[in-house]
Amino acid sequence: MLLTQLKYDLLMFSRELFYLVFTILVPPVTYLFMGQLFGDQTYSGNLNYAETYTPSFILVITFTVVFFAFGFDQVMQRTTGVEKRISISPVSKNMLLLSSIIRAIIMTSFGFILISIIGFLMYDLEIRFWSILLSYGFFIILNAVMLILASAIYSFFQRMNSALVFSIVIFQVIIFTGGLAMPIKVMPNFIQVIAKFNPLYHMNNLFIAVWNGHFTMDSQTVFSVGYLAVLVLVAFICIRIQHKRKIG
Amino acid sequence: MNIVEVHNLEKAYGTNQVLRGINFQAQAGEIIGVIGKNGAGKSTFLEILMTIQKYDAGHVVLFQKDIQKTKLDQIRKQISVVLQPTQFYKTLKVEELLKLFKSYYQSNVNIHQIISDFQLEPHRKKYFEKLSGGWKQIVSLAIAFLSEPKLLILDEPTTGLDPHMRNMLWSYITAYNTRTGGTVILTTHNMEEIEMYCDKVMLLNNGKTEVFDTTAGILASGFVSVHEFYLQKVTI
Repeated sequence: MLLTQLKYDLLMFSRELFYLVFTILVPPVTYLFMGQLFGDQTYSGNLNYAETYTPSFILVITFTVVFFAFGFDQVMQRTTGVEKRISISPVSKNMLLLSSIIRAIIMTSFGFILISIIGFLMYDLEIRFWSILLSYGFFIILNAVMLILASAIYSFFQRMNSALVFSIVIFQVIIFTGGLAMPIKVMPNFIQVIAKFNPLYHMNNLFIAVWNGHFTMDSQTVFSVGYLAVLVLVAFICIRIQHKRKIG
Repeated sequence: MNIVEVHNLEKAYGTNQVLRGINFQAQAGEIIGVIGKNGAGKSTFLEILMTIQKYDAGHVVLFQKDIQKTKLDQIRKQISVVLQPTQFYKTLKVEELLKLFKSYYQSNVNIHQIISDFQLEPHRKKYFEKLSGGWKQIVSLAIAFLSEPKLLILDEPTTGLDPHMRNMLWSYITAYNTRTGGTVILTTHNMEEIEMYCDKVMLLNNGKTEVFDTTAGILASGFVSVHEFYLQKVTI
């Protein structure tokens, strides 16, 4: 049953233009475009464009897949009555959730490969087997964190329009304050302050460090990991509360 | 055999007491219409029977099992529903939806047979959301029949349908009822349908069971039609 559900979940994703544009099209095109503009510059930690922005744009794809095709999709199913109809069927909620999670991981992994290949072909990205394997492992952990946060956030939405507006606004905020499109250091002070509250900012810094083999447990790393852990804990509590309100 | 037994069922949404002690029974093979004005609690009552709505007090026993003491998946295997409006994944085609729900119900029913029985051949490659309201309800019913349910719950299944589609839907429902001996519980505002197809009628008024009788019994008590019975019993 899981394979059948997954097959149709992937089919539905492929037929949803909104998801495709925001996940498969916009991030790689932006990565290419930004590379053409800023590809020759050197970034924090003496890293080049590919070393800095390859992990960043992989995260952008992960964010869009998880928040749009996983989180927003849940709101859509809930508000249009699909969830209600499915809930009356003898199908395990855990199986449906697992299928959604696997779909998200398949799509984000596709993004991981796509951005890496573009980086390799266009921006001389060095691909080392163990480094990429370690990065992929860390990327899966970040996937899990985002899936938990998205589940918690979108569980509060009872209207599709408000979820859509939220998604579009949060997309802009996350991109600009996450250091995913431009270095935070060149941004105004208030953006730099907001960035500290943006989980994607912390994920991005950690992922860049892991990607380039610079990961060390300094105070900044401990703060980022701690902040994300607290958010995950809060998200778990929210999910639990929302789950108790539902039947069976 | 009692398929459904409900005793003193109560349900409130905040301070709004919707159900105030409903008693109800449905036996195998019966078609029962639940009627009442908008807001009378019909849909809440059906949702409780569908096992998707919590209730505050009372007992609900489906297939001889108390739903609060039984794994719901066991019960849901034997129930199918048509909601108003029923919604399915909008980017799946009719045939794909049938296949997906077949896997949910782990049904042995042949999809091509269902497509043929419900005259869905011209629509099988269409997206569900592109279908007309009538065909959406027919597809919903086809999906409901995939599980060969013992209990079929229909929430205003014919609302908004033209007379041909209404007839078509009812022909499938009555054929299912005759062929399988399955129980059908439905809500509708169409009293003609109640009179034509239902064995029993439950009238809900202010969250209480005002009348629960056979259709024949209601007509025998002096009402010329169920429509007149409704108008006399229910005030605006």
